[in-house]
Amino acid sequence: MALLEVNDLRTYFYTRSGVFKAVDGISFDVSKGETLGIVGESGSGKSVSSYSLMGLVPSPPGKVVSGTALFDGQDLLKMNSSQLQKIRGKRMSMIFQDPMTCLNPFLKIGFQLIEPLLIHDKLSKKEAMKKAEQALEDVGITDVKKRLNAYPHEFSGGMRQRVMIAMALITEPELLIADEPTTALDVTVQAQILDLINDLQKRKNTAVIFITHDLGVIARVADKVNVMYAGQILESGSADAVFDQPTHAYTRALLKSIPSRFEKGETLYSIEGLPPNLSKELPGCRFQYRCTQKQKDHCWKDARFPEYADLGQGHQVQSCACTAEYLKEAQK
Amino acid sequence: MSQTEFIEKGNSLWQDAFYRLKKNKLAMFGFVFVSIVILLAIITPLIAPYSYQEQNLILGAVPPNGDHWFGTDTLGRDLLTRVLYGGRISLMVGFVATFVSLVIGVLWGTIAGFLGGKVDSVMMRIVDIMFSLPFILFVIMLMVVFGRNIFLIFIAIGAVEWLPMARIVRSQVVNLRKQEFVEACFSLGFSKRRIILKHLILNVLGQIIIYTSLTIPSVMLFESFLSYLGLGIQPPMSSWGSLISSGVETMEEFPWLFLFPGVVFTLTLFSLNFLGDGLRDALDPRASKD
Repeated sequence: MALLEVNDLRTYFYTRSGVFKAVDGISFDVSKGETLGIVGESGSGKSVSSYSLMGLVPSPPGKVVSGTALFDGQDLLKMNSSQLQKIRGKRMSMIFQDPMTCLNPFLKIGFQLIEPLLIHDKLSKKEAMKKAEQALEDVGITDVKKRLNAYPHEFSGGMRQRVMIAMALITEPELLIADEPTTALDVTVQAQILDLINDLQKRKNTAVIFITHDLGVIARVADKVNVMYAGQILESGSADAVFDQPTHAYTRALLKSIPSRFEKGETLYSIEGLPPNLSKELPGCRFQYRCTQKQKDHCWKDARFPEYADLGQGHQVQSCACTAEYLKEAQK
Repeated sequence: MSQTEFIEKGNSLWQDAFYRLKKNKLAMFGFVFVSIVILLAIITPLIAPYSYQEQNLILGAVPPNGDHWFGTDTLGRDLLTRVLYGGRISLMVGFVATFVSLVIGVLWGTIAGFLGGKVDSVMMRIVDIMFSLPFILFVIMLMVVFGRNIFLIFIAIGAVEWLPMARIVRSQVVNLRKQEFVEACFSLGFSKRRIILKHLILNVLGQIIIYTSLTIPSVMLFESFLSYLGLGIQPPMSSWGSLISSGVETMEEFPWLFLFPGVVFTLTLFSLNFLGDGLRDALDPRASKD
């Protein structure tokens, strides 16, 4: 059984200029020891979906309007705040995008590290400190005793991100949500952090939801991939399947726009236009406004959305007119 | 060579602030002066040369001399003693009333800023309404109705002074609330109470300290104003305010009765303000002029 099963999650934001359907009916699951990558461009609902799971959607204006998220059989979305408090930071935790603002500037690293242990595991300060030392060593920080007594501003961005990871993992959670943990870091540190998460995950059999807009990162860490666009999952499946046989027009366009595929001097490929305004009614395929394969009237007339075609072995794709066309041609 | 040698010993933000404060001479003067005044106020009963109510009508008002360094008042009471005891009362009013306003203001402001939305609106509208009430009249009425009790002064002044504190703290917390480390706190399963008390208040502590150090003198001034109106401390007890107000009446014949408490009070107020300014510059270096 999967550790986390999300079904038809919808998170809307009720603002003065309308209802923004940031997450509009997504379903996925993650098992122990597995890494799920969620990829998509800015505003596609990647972060909001994970915030919804953690109960961190600012309300108002945000609201989880429907769906279930079964974590080990319990529905996270129906929990009250005290039940959630027991799970957050203990059984599931989160790494944020910007390591520079994620630590309290006035508290020593050591104190911030042991806080979850004091609260959730009711350890004594001494025991907790011992664990904190180990946790910092695990994330590759040297001279931990001194580091524990330091303040966040004495750490570099990469080191702070390591501290954040240590903090998120110190209670040995079953599920880790990493919300663009490497976006704010340079490439060398990025690689270290990715290896680190991978390594810790293997050792502790943690399930990881990895959110990013970097396809390279996804290819490196993920077992499964969800491609998100405008609040929906357009294509999902094992990383191998999605990268080897990208089927949805959007996935294909995304893969086409990876810079390393181009020669020097060649113009980079980019998808024209912007994601649609999520406060409007969007009938049919959400990508149709930017899709180069657009089948004239078929894309928006199609009333079956969102319906998924199964391509075998869990590889699913939203069955829009152009996908059908593409599959037909591929079969020939 | 071990790795440790490369790591500089870190300074906390507080140590940095203290270092900046030490460089500010005016603020250090204020700090020293205020410390001396507080110390004297604490040990007053031990060092006061006379009793504050001991009268000597035959002596009457004499100018400063060897026996009475600050002279005596019209009832022959030693002015130095009365200034010392007056300092006790003035400082006590200043600190206790500020403390009252601090507790109410900080809690009110953090809770409003943290919860946001409707709670915030209602709480801050209450502050707005209270701001618009003529509080001096309110305090005067309170004094008239319930008698001139020193604890009532604490409460009355504290009830006025917490309003700006609540506003300052709230605006800070509203900004902090959006920072990711607060979200991180939530994601680690901390309770709201813990986030407010352990994480948010610590981050606004700088502003709180600054504002507190500026509130103390304004409270002392307010008390002296009440005393001046005859609503504050009642004789034979004295506060600096009441000493000044009675000194003013006889200023032309016996100027020292006005001069000594006036100078001491002014110097203390200056020192507190210097210290407050210095603290502001030290804790929030971006706001300082240089």
